[in-house]
Amino acid sequence: MSATEVATKTGAVSVQNVRKFYQRDSMQIKVLDGLNLEVPQGEFLALMGPSGSGKTTLLNLIAGIDRATSGRVVVAGTELGALSEGQLAKWRSRNVGFIFQFYNLIPVLNALENVELPLLLSPLSKRERRERAMTALRIVRLADRSKHYPGQLSGGQEQRVAIARAVVTDPTVLVADEPTGDLDHQSAEEILDLMQTFNQEFGKSIVMVTHDPRAAARAHVQRHLDKGVLTN
Amino acid sequence: MKFAPLILKHLRKNWLRTLSTVLAMAVCIFLICTLQTVVDAVNYGLHLGNASRLVTRHYVSLVFNLPNSYKNKIAAIPGVQNTTINNWFGGIYRGDMKYFFPNMAVEPEPFLQIYPEAMLPEDQKQAWLHDGRGCIIGRKLAEKWGWKVGDHFQLESFIPPYRIGKPFDFIVDGIFDTDPVKYPGWDLTAMYFNYKYLYEATGQRAGVGTITELIDDPKNAGRISKAIDAEFENSDVQTKTETEQAFRASFIAMAGNLALLLNGIGLAVAFTILLVTANTMSIAVRERQQEIGVLKTLGFPSGLVMALVLIEALLLGLMGGALGLILAGGAIHALPNVPFIGDVVRQFPGLGLSPRIVSYGLGAALLLGLLAGLVPALLAYRARITDVLRQV
Repeated sequence: MSATEVATKTGAVSVQNVRKFYQRDSMQIKVLDGLNLEVPQGEFLALMGPSGSGKTTLLNLIAGIDRATSGRVVVAGTELGALSEGQLAKWRSRNVGFIFQFYNLIPVLNALENVELPLLLSPLSKRERRERAMTALRIVRLADRSKHYPGQLSGGQEQRVAIARAVVTDPTVLVADEPTGDLDHQSAEEILDLMQTFNQEFGKSIVMVTHDPRAAARAHVQRHLDKGVLTN
Repeated sequence: MKFAPLILKHLRKNWLRTLSTVLAMAVCIFLICTLQTVVDAVNYGLHLGNASRLVTRHYVSLVFNLPNSYKNKIAAIPGVQNTTINNWFGGIYRGDMKYFFPNMAVEPEPFLQIYPEAMLPEDQKQAWLHDGRGCIIGRKLAEKWGWKVGDHFQLESFIPPYRIGKPFDFIVDGIFDTDPVKYPGWDLTAMYFNYKYLYEATGQRAGVGTITELIDDPKNAGRISKAIDAEFENSDVQTKTETEQAFRASFIAMAGNLALLLNGIGLAVAFTILLVTANTMSIAVRERQQEIGVLKTLGFPSGLVMALVLIEALLLGLMGGALGLILAGGAIHALPNVPFIGDVVRQFPGLGLSPRIVSYGLGAALLLGLLAGLVPALLAYRARITDVLRQV
């Protein structure tokens, strides 16, 4: 069964009437206002919009690292609002791969150890963990840099390691927060190629926040967010 | 174990910080353990006293002697079974304090009756009883200098009345041992010689430092002590009689409340190190906010993140503790050979880094690590992913 076929049957992400408020001192700031979004399985969605429009907040809700004030967020068949903090952490480790704008690799670990990090939470043996991490590094074409530390890698290479780390647990959904925002044109293209590969060849659903129209053009669907509301 | 590389690599990356924290912890544990060992040795010495023995000394101070005539008067007091003069001779071997060992002038026959701790073969005992210049030495002292029965050696006292312009010559008549189970802590580095030799060599100027009495029943110790002191109440030289344990305690009390002082120093140092280490750990965790956010994003539960910080702090404590114990072990081993301090330290036969002190030191190190890591660990536990990643 191809990724497209799965997509027609189940949604990877379902955001239903979600509101999100932040409390700043005595002031309540509305970030998302009754937002609805469906991302079918295997879809590559680009979220665009001006700064402060709520893109990253929505991404955090989908990734299960923040909670909605009201409404439902269902990802990979699980309603995240019903999970405790501990359950949510466990759920994240199995279902979501997160790609940050600034890579966020652990500086004291080499590329292989960084990719292996999420697998430490699995019951895999050390050998199995190493094999999987090496496979992920091979996919992002950095197997030869496995012993290199983040400080010894270029920005593009660091982001490729970060992508390997995001996919090593074989998650259902990849969420990316401006993954090319800190990269030059060529590196950005390489990263987008990789993301497309994971979407098309491995069937990963991707939700990507970006300001870059060229990055957004790689997605199947582009949605625009403004003042906490989807405008298209 | 699978998280060990993450913890160890952090410690290794900031090796200077790790090293300074470990050294600070080590100094703290070194001080605590060394001081506690001294306190233990002092306390151990206090409990060696025999309840059936009383010690009579000058009422004012140990520095002053008692008249020789007191011995017979004390011996006549009801309940007193035996008495011996016991004078601290202060003899120095080879004229150097670093070779010092305890040496006392006693009356051989009553001494051996009152102190069953000193065990001698019968022939050596008889030899000593009949040899004016003879002495008996502890097994450890004999082993240290390779002395055998029949060997000669000389001592020169640093106490003015006992300085006669030449050293005292002694013959080893016997080498005593003891039953370590029955008499733990009995000093086998000491030497005893005949008081008569001292008395005659000093032109009968040697007074009596202390008189040890063997009494009929420990229950009568209070009554007999009072009776002895009452006997000399109206004389020029009044006495103070107490049990051997109390005598040892008062001897040590001359240095003030040693245990309180030493423990006070240890606690003050430990508290200071705790603040320094807690601060270091807080900085280390604050610098790793991004990492904590990433770990939590990857699905590391807050409890696990907290545990990683705590384990790192405990590891620092453990390394500091181990190093501190090694230093303390070395210092305690070397202490008896340090000029001046060594002379005092050698008075305590129980001096040594005991398993109890080792456990105490390691426990203190781990507790320090735990306390130092607790607040940073709690901060890591409570850190919200969205907050810490936003700060990056």
